[in-house]
Amino acid sequence: MNVLLAVLWKDLVTEWRGRDRAVATLLFSLLVVVIFHFSLDDGGPERIRELAPGLLWIAYVFAAVLGLNRAFSLELENDAMAGLALAPSDRGFVFLGKAAANFLILGVVQALTALVFALVFDQSWWRVAPALAGVVALGSLGICSMGTLLSAVAVRTRFREVMLPLLLLPLLIPVLSGAVQATQDLLVEGTLRFAPLQLLLVADGVYLIASYLLFDYVLDE
Amino acid sequence: MNTAAISARGLEKRFGRSAALRGIDLEVPSGSCLAVLGPNGAGKSTLLRLVAGLARPTAGTLQVAGLAPTSRRARARIGYVGHATLLYPMLTAFENLLFAGRLYGVEEPAARAHVLLEEEGLAAVATRSVGELSSGMAQRLSIARSLVHDPSLLLLDEPFSGLDPGSADRLARRIINLRDERHTLLLVSHDLGRAAEVANAALVLAGGRVELTSSEPPDARQLAEKIAEVGA
Repeated sequence: MNVLLAVLWKDLVTEWRGRDRAVATLLFSLLVVVIFHFSLDDGGPERIRELAPGLLWIAYVFAAVLGLNRAFSLELENDAMAGLALAPSDRGFVFLGKAAANFLILGVVQALTALVFALVFDQSWWRVAPALAGVVALGSLGICSMGTLLSAVAVRTRFREVMLPLLLLPLLIPVLSGAVQATQDLLVEGTLRFAPLQLLLVADGVYLIASYLLFDYVLDE
Repeated sequence: MNTAAISARGLEKRFGRSAALRGIDLEVPSGSCLAVLGPNGAGKSTLLRLVAGLARPTAGTLQVAGLAPTSRRARARIGYVGHATLLYPMLTAFENLLFAGRLYGVEEPAARAHVLLEEEGLAAVATRSVGELSSGMAQRLSIARSLVHDPSLLLLDEPFSGLDPGSADRLARRIINLRDERHTLLLVSHDLGRAAEVANAALVLAGGRVELTSSEPPDARQLAEKIAEVGA
């Protein structure tokens, strides 16, 4: 647990001082919102409400991929990744620390993006905001679990910027399916069905456990 | 039970078709300081990375204190200084040592970090980020990082590179002290004078093979002649 907290602390302090990952992902997701605003200029509130889940998750997923691509690049500098591999701790806790940092940084970006989206498209989500935050958190958990593992794999390949989305996006289909459906339920119907939540929970559980166990091998040469 | 600090039998490492190590046999007793020498491409750094558990052998066996180098118990005994510093440029010198201490489960990592900064003469730059340090200071900090958990086996890959003469003298004294305190050291260096000063045994590699082993304190001139001979 100490190793988890140490890695989380290190990643958050590094991000706070550089802010490159949060700023890049936030700018990207806000740009997506602005572009959709131009293209849906004459859409009524009902149409926007129906499209919002898909639009939001497009911004979230691509922002996440952008951020995850940077997650291990700071470990490449000065071969710091070898420093993590040398530590005698359970490497699964190193993974959990990195994934937790990614989850928190992405969470801030997602919250700001949702806020700007609601303002730009004149949507009132306050009533469902806590449930929406829960659904987005569940979706992000799956994205950050598998994304952190695959980011560590991709960072050692020659085409790492391309490799991560190639590896990650197909695997995210169950998570995205559950997340978009649950967001649609919330924003259109104002309720949550169990089926998409169940899909999210199962996918999150499988991705988290698999990534925790496989990270040991990823840190090896 | 094997009690040698490092024991290797028929150790081989290949990268695709290229062989970096070709059947190395090695026995390093506890408490010795072995200088690993040889021309460029001899396999010295590869040997160190295998012992550190950062790479796996293609063939042969390798043990650190009777354990697989990749095991958690072996990793807890190993300190490693590589070509790169393993440091985070955005963190301060103190924070880097604090983080390393937490990774290794050191009790009171902050106190340990302060002690190491003092010992390395880096206390004055403790709050400066690593990105602002000179390469020599970063190298000294990297050495402090490798000692954060008081390892019984210290692997040093070109530790004198980038150091000014005063810092190199200080490091040489540090290595001799560690050797005298019965730490085991593996030192890769092209600086034969320094290697002869601190080591009490030598291993010369060339083309991934052992060309010379000596359990006596090495002589710099003889080593230079041998390396020139095998490197030709």
